[in-house]
Amino acid sequence: MKTWFTILFGTLLLTCSLAMLAQPQDQPPAVKTPASTVHKKSKTNDGEQRFQANCGRCHNPPEAISPREVKAVLQHMRVRAMLSAEDEKLILKYLAP
Amino acid sequence: MKRILGALIALLGFATSVCSQADVPILSGALAFNTSTTAGATSFTPTLAPVLVAPVGDHWLFEGRAQLQGFFFQQNGTSGPYTGQFFATLDYAQVDYIANPHLTVTVGRFLTPFNIYNERFSAIWIANLQDSPIIFTIGTRTSSASNGGMLRGVLVERPNWLLNYTAYFSAASTTENLQAGRAAGGRIGVFMPNAGIEVGASYQRFLQNGDFNVAGTYFAWQPPQIPLDVRAEYAHSPGGQGYWLEGAMHIAKSRGTSTWLSRLQTVARVQQYFKGTPTPQDELPAADVNQFDFGLNYYLPHDVRLNGSYGRQYSSLGNANIWNVQIAYRFLFPAWPGEHK
Repeated sequence: MKTWFTILFGTLLLTCSLAMLAQPQDQPPAVKTPASTVHKKSKTNDGEQRFQANCGRCHNPPEAISPREVKAVLQHMRVRAMLSAEDEKLILKYLAP
Repeated sequence: MKRILGALIALLGFATSVCSQADVPILSGALAFNTSTTAGATSFTPTLAPVLVAPVGDHWLFEGRAQLQGFFFQQNGTSGPYTGQFFATLDYAQVDYIANPHLTVTVGRFLTPFNIYNERFSAIWIANLQDSPIIFTIGTRTSSASNGGMLRGVLVERPNWLLNYTAYFSAASTTENLQAGRAAGGRIGVFMPNAGIEVGASYQRFLQNGDFNVAGTYFAWQPPQIPLDVRAEYAHSPGGQGYWLEGAMHIAKSRGTSTWLSRLQTVARVQQYFKGTPTPQDELPAADVNQFDFGLNYYLPHDVRLNGSYGRQYSSLGNANIWNVQIAYRFLFPAWPGEHK
């Protein structure tokens, strides 16, 4: 049983450590686009609505998407969520203004 | 496991060599630890599910997801020492050519697009309840994945609705970690973004074990005004048929996780399954099953999520309580460091 506690504790520790470490490294404020912040700023934004309608219908958005990640994320969503041409344009503008 | 890791490293290496700085690949996915107790038998499942997405120009995309998973359980079911093993599976490794919004051509190994649970809700950091629906294996049997080709896209685009489609063919494979069934099928769906409603239907012709037809329908509703998600699927095969209906709601007036209470999500799901004529390896229950599940999810900062659920299963083979607790960390970062220009 001791082994299982070690595995459980180790996984929890690793999970929490990764969560704590990932943020400061991946999220320099000047570079990242915190989705939640943008949400507050522009409630009527078309891109935000499209993002919520297309991406948010399956999952919560990640806390932040950096401009360097936007292209890959959007391409992935184009295939997965079958975005229309207009959706893609508006969401791109929303994520990487 | 070596093959899977080798394939992912090779894919990453190839992507790295052909991508420009603007086409930065991303590593995403989740690290999770799940404990499950079904009818008194407890198991532990640590999982690492990395996703690699590598765009090349505006039209090409490489995508792959693997599952590195451990499964540990008591030797005698509900007593005795724990034993278990680690194993790896390749969920998908596909190359997409995005011709335009109306057509994407995919080749490789991809998630079988039968109804929508497999493609969109089955990831461990997305699923509201950790147990897949009972009818999950209908249409996605053998491995949930297909090896072959797929066409997909938006067929018709109007301001208030979209008509999307998927058509695919899969070859049979019994290669370890790359299992797939020989099948052909398609899915058609209507999405109304303003109303948050999506309906569709799937069809598949399974081309082995005595050819047979599989069909299904799905419905999803996400009202824009309230943080509610309603999802449902029905599927039918000669081996059995059934449906599931799930509702999930954040304890808040609107979507978002700005307050501690709004981070809490309640989930409820009901399922019914009716046994048919068993077909080889269909992995469906051997008797009719009724089941309900109730869960609480808490979205912690830094993309960490805690899930807890209780389910009660009613079957002529025996009733059972099902408990699940999971912690999952979802990660997303560029595959290599650099500055945004």
